[in-house]
Amino acid sequence: MKIFAPLFPLIDKLNAVPRSTARGVLGVYYYVDDAAAAVTALRQLGHRDLRVYSPVPYHQIERALEQGPSVVRWVTLGGALLGITGGFALCIYSVLAWPLVVGGKELVSIPPFVVIGYESMILLGSLANLLGMLALTRLPELKATAPYDPRFTEDRIGIWVPCAGEAATKAEAVMRGQGAEEVAVHA
Amino acid sequence: MSEITYEPASDPAGVGVTEHLPETVTQKSLNRDVLRMLERPGKIWWGVFLLDLAILSLGLIAERNQIVYGIGAAGHTRPVMWASYVTNFVFWVGIAHCGTLVSAILFLFRSHFRRAVYRVAEAMTVFGVLTAGLFPIVHLGRPWFAYWLFPYPNQRGIWPNFRSPLEWDVFAVTTYLTVSSIFFIVGIIPDAAVQRDNAKNRFHRLLGTIFSFGWRGANTQWKHFYSAYLYFAAFATPLVLSVHSVVSWDFAMAQIPGWHSTIFAPYFVAGAIFSGVALVINLLIIIRKGFKLEHIVTADHIEKLAKLVLLTSTIVGYSYMVEFFCAWYGPSRFERDMFWWRFTGHFWWAAWIMFTCNVIIPLLLWFKKVRRNMTVLFIIMLFVNVGMWFERFVIIVSSLAHPFNPSTWGVNYRMDWTEAAILAGSFAWFGMYFLLFIRLLPAISVAEVKETLAPPMRGGHA
Repeated sequence: MKIFAPLFPLIDKLNAVPRSTARGVLGVYYYVDDAAAAVTALRQLGHRDLRVYSPVPYHQIERALEQGPSVVRWVTLGGALLGITGGFALCIYSVLAWPLVVGGKELVSIPPFVVIGYESMILLGSLANLLGMLALTRLPELKATAPYDPRFTEDRIGIWVPCAGEAATKAEAVMRGQGAEEVAVHA
Repeated sequence: MSEITYEPASDPAGVGVTEHLPETVTQKSLNRDVLRMLERPGKIWWGVFLLDLAILSLGLIAERNQIVYGIGAAGHTRPVMWASYVTNFVFWVGIAHCGTLVSAILFLFRSHFRRAVYRVAEAMTVFGVLTAGLFPIVHLGRPWFAYWLFPYPNQRGIWPNFRSPLEWDVFAVTTYLTVSSIFFIVGIIPDAAVQRDNAKNRFHRLLGTIFSFGWRGANTQWKHFYSAYLYFAAFATPLVLSVHSVVSWDFAMAQIPGWHSTIFAPYFVAGAIFSGVALVINLLIIIRKGFKLEHIVTADHIEKLAKLVLLTSTIVGYSYMVEFFCAWYGPSRFERDMFWWRFTGHFWWAAWIMFTCNVIIPLLLWFKKVRRNMTVLFIIMLFVNVGMWFERFVIIVSSLAHPFNPSTWGVNYRMDWTEAAILAGSFAWFGMYFLLFIRLLPAISVAEVKETLAPPMRGGHA
């Protein structure tokens, strides 16, 4: 593993929490219903840009956040349409550019081209789906943009509220009132 | 209410939470148990890995000979020019199909038992396609010209023949490799974050950081992730059905007796799932025993997979009989002669191995005790994979050895040591990837298995 050693400091740096730039309040919860109630209360206070970390997605929290459907579907549809069009176009262009009659069949033979169009649709649709997902989830996230705790991939739920001053004090009080195990203010 | 795009983690009754996992399993213990697989490998792992590399080296030496002396070194003779290389290609593509079945099709059907087993199946898919993809290249007389298979603008102005099933194969298999690799790597993202956050050494933290893409498990990330995952599954499902259909058309589009059949596409797809699920059961039995994960990959999970093997075995058995019926009842005497020859001619032993392993032995799976006995199940699944390799051998070699021209009937194919070494090398190639994978990345989806656990609720479950 020594050959990877030069990369280790870089990895540590990337995973470090950027305390100096991120301001807000981070609450840590164990119970899902507590976290969902905290989200609802914080949203009533006017905090719309909450970030909720969890080891798995929970419906209660999604409902509390009133999240709409992902738009990744439209990116995927665009890729799939481009794929099927491109697949047929490639076949038709190539047989016209290199006219070689095989078995007395028409040069532009649609049935065999369906296979190429179909596979191209799936290929480009999937690639678009991947790119859309990465863009919307802001991945790869090379450097953490907000405080984060490794327990959020274990069994704890985190709520990050970007705010400062009096708003932070109120947010902290709300979080403690809703059963937060820990609350840290990053001022 | 917004649209729900992922499976509910907060409805334990609805997802059958306690159906498979013991109550002692918690979110924390899952992290610990799965990441234990990544600890320093022991002597057994090293022994198996070195043996694997030795077999792979033998395959590479055989391939080197074939490149230096030409494809004749493999002992291929007319009329059986496709011989074992195309047999291996179809076998490995078939093996690959199980991963997509378990990860995509069962995901769409909300079949929750998949969560504990799908990562192993998906890894098998990717490594299976990587192995399958070697054989068209190995089979080329000049493998360095393999890129000619792909359409690209060139100074000669020529293009591949898109009306040929072999070119369809290029598109189908490369699309399958690409999409299944994406599906596999995307599925690993949340688990790699677990690895990054809990790694015991910096090398595994490095891997976790790379494969997690900086995942934090934020609400917006889960939302887009599961939405995209749904579409990956929606694409992968018709893809997996199309890939083995296209592979079957390599044969079915030809006029050769024994190949020219409309049932080939569904017959091949069922056979692919049959062999793939059998191999995934073999691998899971080893992994759960070797890493003491019987409480995560439970006997229930394995039993459900065994039921899939039983189902697909009956489809495969039915297909054999339909083939025979069509040959007997249909108008073609060549077809009739072919099927009679398959079971009574020069390769009768291969046809009977196929039938015994794929139809008769899996009948034992009707018994619950057999489905839950890991030793017996392991042996049955080995037979299934032997049988499925022979199925492809029978379809390809026996049909080619007994064509329309009787003068070639006496020239019978025999497997040369070069072919045998390359076949063994392909298993080692697959094994090498798999052995490395289980030691480098989480082989069980921690995030998805956590969804089967009851979520912690102060007010009790909904």
